[in-house]
Amino acid sequence: MSRVAEVRRREAGLMAGFSTAISLWSDRHFKWLLVAPGIGLILALSVYPLLFSFWVNFVNYDFQIPGHAFVGLKNFSQVVFDPVARWSLALTVMLSAANVTIEFALGLGLALAMVRPFPGRGLVMSILIIPLFISPVIVGQAWALLLQRPFGPTNYLLGQLLRREVTIGWLSESPWVYFALILSDVWQWTPFMFVILLAGLTSIPPNLYEASELDGIGGWLAFRLITLPLLAPMITLAITFRLLDAIRLFDTIFIMTAGGPGTKTYTSSFYLYTVGFTQFHLSQATAGSWILLVLTAALVSFLVRHLLKAETV
Amino acid sequence: MSQKAIAGPAGTPPKRRRRRRRPGIGRFVFLGAFLIFVLGPLYWMFITSIKPSDDYLAVPPVWFPSHPTLVHYIAALFAYRGLQGIANSLIVSISATALSAFVGTLMAYSFARFETGGKHLSFWVLSQRFLPPIAIVLPVFLIYRTVGLHDTRFGLVIAYTVFTLPVTVWMMFAYFKGVPRSMEDAALVDGCTRWEAFWRVAVPLAAPGIIAAAVFAFIACWTEFFFALVLTSRNAFTLPTVFRAFLGFQGAQYGEASALAVVSLAPSIALGVLAQRHLVRGLTLGAVRG
Amino acid sequence: MADVRIRGLHKRFGGFHAVRGIDLDIADGDFTVLVGPSGCGKSTLLRTIAGLEDISEGEIFIGDEIVNDMRPRDRDVAMVFQDYALYPHMTVEKNIGFGLRARKMARSEIDDRVNRASAMLGIAQLYGRFPRQLSGGQRQRVAIGRAIVREPRIFLFDEPLSNLDAQLRDEMRWEIKRLHREISTTMIYVTHDQIEAMTLADRIVLMREGRIEQVGTPAELFERPISRFVAGFLGSPKMSFLPGRVVGSEGVAAIAIDGAAFPLPLPTAHAARVSTAGARVLLGLRPEHIVRAQGASPGEGMIRLDARVELLQPTGSRTFATFRIGSASALAELQAHDVSNPGETIQLDANLNRASLFDAETELALLS
Repeated sequence: MSRVAEVRRREAGLMAGFSTAISLWSDRHFKWLLVAPGIGLILALSVYPLLFSFWVNFVNYDFQIPGHAFVGLKNFSQVVFDPVARWSLALTVMLSAANVTIEFALGLGLALAMVRPFPGRGLVMSILIIPLFISPVIVGQAWALLLQRPFGPTNYLLGQLLRREVTIGWLSESPWVYFALILSDVWQWTPFMFVILLAGLTSIPPNLYEASELDGIGGWLAFRLITLPLLAPMITLAITFRLLDAIRLFDTIFIMTAGGPGTKTYTSSFYLYTVGFTQFHLSQATAGSWILLVLTAALVSFLVRHLLKAETV
Repeated sequence: MSQKAIAGPAGTPPKRRRRRRRPGIGRFVFLGAFLIFVLGPLYWMFITSIKPSDDYLAVPPVWFPSHPTLVHYIAALFAYRGLQGIANSLIVSISATALSAFVGTLMAYSFARFETGGKHLSFWVLSQRFLPPIAIVLPVFLIYRTVGLHDTRFGLVIAYTVFTLPVTVWMMFAYFKGVPRSMEDAALVDGCTRWEAFWRVAVPLAAPGIIAAAVFAFIACWTEFFFALVLTSRNAFTLPTVFRAFLGFQGAQYGEASALAVVSLAPSIALGVLAQRHLVRGLTLGAVRG
Repeated sequence: MADVRIRGLHKRFGGFHAVRGIDLDIADGDFTVLVGPSGCGKSTLLRTIAGLEDISEGEIFIGDEIVNDMRPRDRDVAMVFQDYALYPHMTVEKNIGFGLRARKMARSEIDDRVNRASAMLGIAQLYGRFPRQLSGGQRQRVAIGRAIVREPRIFLFDEPLSNLDAQLRDEMRWEIKRLHREISTTMIYVTHDQIEAMTLADRIVLMREGRIEQVGTPAELFERPISRFVAGFLGSPKMSFLPGRVVGSEGVAAIAIDGAAFPLPLPTAHAARVSTAGARVLLGLRPEHIVRAQGASPGEGMIRLDARVELLQPTGSRTFATFRIGSASALAELQAHDVSNPGETIQLDANLNRASLFDAETELALLS
């Protein structure tokens, strides 16, 4: 017992009072100290800029003109009454819906095809996920190369297939541009759906299917009664995450069509970028981005609440 | 294990006469077609990068060049400053990844072990992921212009750190939740302060998770375009922004664009394939175990 | 070495009241076992003593100090965990010495202590291995070794044997008992296994739903349980409980078991303590007190029963027979080579001298 006391006395002597005090204080507030750097960063580069831009909404922010005059709701009205702005919103919605739907269908098909092991499955898996790690700009570049006119392989192959000359302007003619954009998005993001849905499928215990086989249920009925309900949380998750990313479509537009022909392929993000950085109507762009922010927040809270409900079921 | 046991209801309908279901050919046709779909554009881009320029105007298109060349790679890296873009991307991505991994792990540990800030704080951090980039990048651009951080690698690094933080936090949160607390408890009783228990016991245990989170953060930074487009210019430009120079192609640039694309693809694909075990966790912000 | 005093301890997890007012004194050098069913709060109590959980109300004293706000590292306690909690990225040697290195002890002193502890536990040959290379029993020894080298004033054990298979558990029980004899430090041990509690403890603290049900030596709890819960918890197989009423005139009490043909007379010593005729009670009899009839007539305070055997459970050394008294089931302990068969009627002697009696409402003991 005296030895313990000895050690403790020695320890007490060694530790300077000050460093003990710091040590005690940091232990007590440990959990807050840990989150402090992260919160600090987010405050500095997310909250503060948003507050700043909120102010910019209501002034005329211009690098050339000194003094930022208060303009009330003028910036907002400029956006709201701009037909391009409205078109870009509609296009964003339509493209997102189309992309997510097709990606979901294909992704589900891939997941169902891949759920059973077969020789070479690992290799196939590695290839299928490649598009996820490529910069969207490069994806756009690759598809631009494929779809270009007049020397691209797509038109040539189509021509061979249909036995007549094909001169579709995939990147310059409506409605072909939309197909082009959808094609490149589907190419890149179907694997996203695939990976998540596959994870969901493999987590369904196989003995559920065995039990249902004994009961005489198989095939399509088992899919509807067992697979789909158990997969539902994953489906919701996949669609939520994909949708919230899909509405930001920008990079591929920039590279493939630059918004053209005219303004036909302006998504909301691209429209705001143009307003802010090519026309330098910074306040107007800010106002527009705040509208987009509010709409996105509404969508996020709707989806996440729905998602949380689905998870707890 | 009989074949019919696992995920019976895939593509093909059961053949009513037989007692066993054969794996349908349909699934392999579908997979094969999709594989061609995935590899096609990549192949074409690779081929384009090694074709001599004359081949671009060929009809029918040249499927494999008879005289492959590296001319485009050299032009892309030097004439179009691709090499500088790569250097900047590397510096920025590695720095931001390291910072994000460190700050994110700290935060995730706090959430996982202490439920700091309850549901609200963690939800707030998660929701950062879903902010439309244009809403953030506009004011950040204005602020950076004012304080002189525009077109600096440092400015981009901290922007990327915040941009990758939600994913890092959430992947590590899921990871820490899966590690039993008893080792940290043992360390606390043994004589560690909370920081020592975290740093000397929890972090080494979480190393695989940290590496996975770092890989995905790196890929995110390496492939990011929008922020870099707005926040950089002549000095700090990253690799994805170099592709701007190839816009409005006039034929001669196909090769350089493809070459640069191939160079850019290689590391991120390699990393991604290596980390694919953790893919689901990364994609769903840790909501699901990979 | 130190004693532990707990006063008015409460611990709440949000809405859940895990520990509801504990007052407990643990003497210096004692081996105290906290035992009880899952969820009774024993692990929570242990963790508050360790400092791994904050307390909602009350005080904890270790030695003479109040330790409520002290960090675990400052309390000078060591803990052995159920899942061993060995650091997977360190060798056995580094694992054992970790706490000492954390306190910046001299290298020679560390080596000295580690070697002594390893010799005591027979694990010196495992130094260079990693935890994943060890068996469950070896890991547990390393965990104990890590605790020993700290030379703490209190050892805490949180269900350390629960993850081991039955045979290993027996072996390790003896090890731990031997350890206590050798280093005689205060030890507080949590388990849900009443056999561990009975064999290891100097004193048992039986807990239920966050409160202490009874504290005492194993013999005290076994022979003089203060409630039906205590009586039913200790002893395997369990005590049989027969519901009935007190009958009989002054001073000659008997228990009429529900549905039985005749009341069971209480021995005079007991009869004196039972007052209210008509009160509903539970009569408790352990299997070892109901045996095959011996001799021409039953002994003093014993009663002979004709029992129809319903079920037989041979365990090798003994056989247990289930039979009915009235509408209740009871268990009798027979010899291993007893040739009874199910359906047979045999004669049993029930030793009412050793019976327990509980109030049917409060479930508290009426005799002690």
